[in-house]
Amino acid sequence: MTARRDATILHVDLDAFFAAVEQLDDPGLRGRPVIVGGLGKRGVVSTASYEARAFGVSSAMPMARARQACPQATFLSPRMARYVEKSHEVMAILGSISPLVEQLSIDEAFVDVAGARRMLGGPAEIAATIRGRVLDEAGLCLSAGVASTKFLAKLASDLAKPDGVLVVEPGTEQAVLAPLPVSRLWGVGPATMTKLERMGLRTIGDVAAIEEQTLVGALGSGLGRHLHALARNDDPRAVVPERDAKSIGAEETFAADLHTIPKCERELVRLADRACARLRSAGLTARTVNVKIRFGDFETRTRARTLAAATDVSTVVLDVARELLSEFDVGRGVRLLGVALSRLDAVAGTQATLDLTGDAHSEQQCRTERRAAVERAVDEVRDRFGSLAVGPATLVERSDGARGRG
Amino acid sequence: MKFRCERDTLADAVATAQRTVASRSGALPVLQDLRISANADGLELIGSDLEITNRVQVPADVEEPGVAVVPKLLGEIVRKLEPGPVTVSVTGDEAVITAGRFSTSLRLKPAEDYPRLASSDGQGVRVDSTAFAAALRQVVRAASKDDLRPILTGVLMTAHAGGLRLVATDSYRLAVRDLKGVSMLAEGQRVLVAAKGLAEVQRLAGDGEIEVVLRDRDVVFRTSRAEVTARLIEGDFPNYEQLIPSSYPNRLTVSRDSLMDALERVQIVGQNRDNAAVRISMTADGLELAMSAQDVGTAQESLDAKFEGTELTVAFNPVFLRDGVEAIETDEVALDTIDPLKPATLRAAGGDDFLYLLMPVRTS
Repeated sequence: MTARRDATILHVDLDAFFAAVEQLDDPGLRGRPVIVGGLGKRGVVSTASYEARAFGVSSAMPMARARQACPQATFLSPRMARYVEKSHEVMAILGSISPLVEQLSIDEAFVDVAGARRMLGGPAEIAATIRGRVLDEAGLCLSAGVASTKFLAKLASDLAKPDGVLVVEPGTEQAVLAPLPVSRLWGVGPATMTKLERMGLRTIGDVAAIEEQTLVGALGSGLGRHLHALARNDDPRAVVPERDAKSIGAEETFAADLHTIPKCERELVRLADRACARLRSAGLTARTVNVKIRFGDFETRTRARTLAAATDVSTVVLDVARELLSEFDVGRGVRLLGVALSRLDAVAGTQATLDLTGDAHSEQQCRTERRAAVERAVDEVRDRFGSLAVGPATLVERSDGARGRG
Repeated sequence: MKFRCERDTLADAVATAQRTVASRSGALPVLQDLRISANADGLELIGSDLEITNRVQVPADVEEPGVAVVPKLLGEIVRKLEPGPVTVSVTGDEAVITAGRFSTSLRLKPAEDYPRLASSDGQGVRVDSTAFAAALRQVVRAASKDDLRPILTGVLMTAHAGGLRLVATDSYRLAVRDLKGVSMLAEGQRVLVAAKGLAEVQRLAGDGEIEVVLRDRDVVFRTSRAEVTARLIEGDFPNYEQLIPSSYPNRLTVSRDSLMDALERVQIVGQNRDNAAVRISMTADGLELAMSAQDVGTAQESLDAKFEGTELTVAFNPVFLRDGVEAIETDEVALDTIDPLKPATLRAAGGDDFLYLLMPVRTS
């Protein structure tokens, strides 16, 4: 086994994601079996809620069989656009915890929290924070596995399901892995399993205990080495955030709660500006503007609006953010405000707009163009004087005692 | 209430009425259901989110008149029944539906909870159904879907040069369609009708005529299959006329189908990319379309076309451009341009009853 490493890798997996979104959107479905998938003759189950799984329904099962197994379930076709939207929300929460987020699929991601520990506590605490925030802010349950490697973290989240956390403490990895069947190793399909069983290897512990050469002899050098390493929790792969992040944003917690729209708007100006500066420095444009608000009682809400065309201009983002803010009752007292930009893409062009106000010749557009030029100039100045801490550094920056800037 | 109705008739009526019931998030849960009333004339089914209302009348054998609010589930049930008569019988808060040897009993919300909707009475103007639907098809697509800008979610209907003019814009493109000889509004009168409601009208338009009844707060469209009532949107529609350039130095004329096909092929590399732009290069030799998307690849295609003007390249959002070309019904389309930053116009070559103005994408 490799040198002992800290357990800083989280694998998070949303529980019965598609079905959970349907239950979230339609309270009438909560606590009831819900099956999402293809409803045609040859359809298969994409996701079954846990209530439906109790009747033996599982993913990839033919829909006809699912109907027999659980006829009382509500059967729905997938609403992918909505799931993608919820997935973005969850990924945005993960992104605010650590910049090292690697999304595996619509409902799964790895998060490396090594850098976030100074702010947010140990990995187990961070896992609890993520689960709490995803439940509060997105209304969804997720399971998390925490371990020193990606392989074990993913395995742990699987063992923790549903709605649980499993932290594999450094030093206990072998104890967790050893009794598990070899089929839990990545890359072991039915054929490999038969070979391993013929060698008398039934558990991961069995595989870890034999000589690597024996395994290579039986399975070939590639697979043999790979399985031998995994069985010993030797998985050097790092959590690599996608080159194009899923969302970029800025948020701030206030020393005293804000109670009026003008006060909130003043903060919104700074946040939109900061988020857009990050966007531009990454050479990206965004289509969706998200405003997050946390009230004095810690209730957290988000609102998002997708623009018809992508932008990187602060004033455009600010206009939308203001409109979103007006949908909240800030009189309750606002503890935290955030602006996040998502649906990011590399700058290719900017959709021009018609001047609907009828001012002088395309004045609105000229204004937007002038603003864009001004903002780029400001970016350059900030770059040169290094006055703006960009990106991942923000998590470390928080430890100076400031109450949450990011 | 008790009635008997053919499965196909009832299934069609429910399908139409339920298109306009409120979505899940509505404040009044009863609006997620259908209101059914039965009397000697037959059935009336209503689906409404208070903004847009569908009313469908169908013949039925009514044994006992009455009113009930029935869940949308009815549609799914009726669709799956064998062809033949379906009997619906409502007593108290329960509806019993029987067909052949099948029967089901549904719990109902109280009928009196359903909001009182204004009746759809009134005498209106008759227009040719096919022509009106074709005009709506061209214009509705340019309306905004963003509820934050309610005015842009409407289609402006206004009297123009002795006919009817339909206008919609989402601030990136603008569609203007004239229906000559259709006098529905007094000269100078302007009304703003929810594009969502007009999409329903377009869907329901069949043969014959549509009767349009303009009232103080809404407008009723009577088609052969149903009645759609759409609330009027309050507010001033932008002064769109000043947006339309009076002349263009460059005109490209190209086959509509060739351009559509080429666009479809070229934009594949930019699919799912929000800000991909298709570049249109116009020269005396014709037209070249090019698209590139980072990390995906590039595509280009050249087309024969007639070009009068100075060579130039303009970039557009491929979806917006495709929408415009698709809306044109003639064999040839004309693309008029000024420069890469100014609005361009698509219209039927030789036609002047439809115009689609489109802002370019500025590429750096």
